[in-house]
Amino acid sequence: MKKVVCVIMITLIFFIIYFIQANIFNLFSIAGVKPNLFVVLMLIVGLFAGKKVGIPFAIIMGIILDLLGAKIVGISSIMFIVIVILADIYDKNFSKDNRMTIIIMVISTTIIYELGIYILNAFKLSINMELISFIKVLIIEAIYNTLLTIIIYPIIQNVGNLLEEIFKEKKILTRYF
Amino acid sequence: MYKKKANNGLIGIIITITILVILVVLSNIKLEKWSYIGNAISSLIMPVQNGLTYMKNKIAGNDAFFSNINELKGENEELKRKNSDLEKQVRELEIVKAQNESLKEYVNLKDKYSEYTTLPANVIQRDLGNFGKVIVINAGKKDGIDVNMTVIADKGLVGHVISVTDTTAKVQTIIDTSSAVSSIIKTTRDGIIVKGTLDNDSMLKGTYIPTDANLLEGDNIETSGIGGIYPKGIHIGTVKQIINTKNITDRYASIETAVDFSKLETVLVITNK
Repeated sequence: MKKVVCVIMITLIFFIIYFIQANIFNLFSIAGVKPNLFVVLMLIVGLFAGKKVGIPFAIIMGIILDLLGAKIVGISSIMFIVIVILADIYDKNFSKDNRMTIIIMVISTTIIYELGIYILNAFKLSINMELISFIKVLIIEAIYNTLLTIIIYPIIQNVGNLLEEIFKEKKILTRYF
Repeated sequence: MYKKKANNGLIGIIITITILVILVVLSNIKLEKWSYIGNAISSLIMPVQNGLTYMKNKIAGNDAFFSNINELKGENEELKRKNSDLEKQVRELEIVKAQNESLKEYVNLKDKYSEYTTLPANVIQRDLGNFGKVIVINAGKKDGIDVNMTVIADKGLVGHVISVTDTTAKVQTIIDTSSAVSSIIKTTRDGIIVKGTLDNDSMLKGTYIPTDANLLEGDNIETSGIGGIYPKGIHIGTVKQIINTKNITDRYASIETAVDFSKLETVLVITNK
């Protein structure tokens, strides 16, 4: 029951982020560049709820997001899955209780996500690659995401602990000894 | 023990490959074929988004709210006086307009875009990310909008419809990096291809300029009618700069869009081709 409520809550957060992304960030863009909170959400889900919850969530939310505002359906799903898998790898190798590690995770996933989206779109829609402009946008977006992560870090920690408690079995890992 | 672990890994790989294959297949399905799911999602989300956009536009237009009240009172008096004068003028003009319309019918004059049947719509969602310039408008299949219809604004070309649901339509703008519009230079009638850039939301890149074309800064660019989507003669923008390269075939032009995409609120969809 708790798990169902939790999944509904994550879905709600996803749609709230969609409305923020579509309305508020259009007014508060830095040099015309907006942050991407979907990446942060997927990272948190992958990191704290695990792969089993993260991957189905990534597929469904990716398709919904593409239907709402993209040119091809499925590309966001692929990249959300990549984020969840990356988050799982991070979970196994790094501590999640440190602000710095979370920030580094956000920067790396933002870069990988946008790079993936751009390359897949470029292949599919035959876009002329504009490398310098792309890197410029990517850097600003990564910085913007970092700033937002610093601001919402307490929320990330609380939500994360809650998700971990519900979705992951309590186990003592030998690496802590 | 180890064998079990290896099996688990194999299952994981098979599941991952299956999911990826499904997603590749999904991404190859045309957007129109998603219309059932798209309809369901947009009927849930878009009414809220519509309301939020309305509120945002209201707030953005009310930044002069805290102006001096006395100043406003004076201004109000003056405006009232002007208003009564204008009302008188409007009545006179209405008579002239009626006369003008009947005269137009006689001489068969047409306005710039009057040969097209257009349908007005509001922009209810701008791009969600930084790399796609797709907008969503609040008119859909029920209003007679279909895929590949041209979308214009008061000053020029906006883009074309790429998918429709019952009440909304997704429009790929000309500033999108995957957009390429066949156009002509208005004065010399030379054909060029106009593409969107990542750099700037108000600049387009005019490529494939013929080597003998005499392109000048300030030249107007309009659609050529070739390509089957955009009708002929719709204004796109003006040439701001011509960038010459070592090889003349590679030269390109920076074109400033006629439409201000950052402030785009209402558009017109051309419903007849």
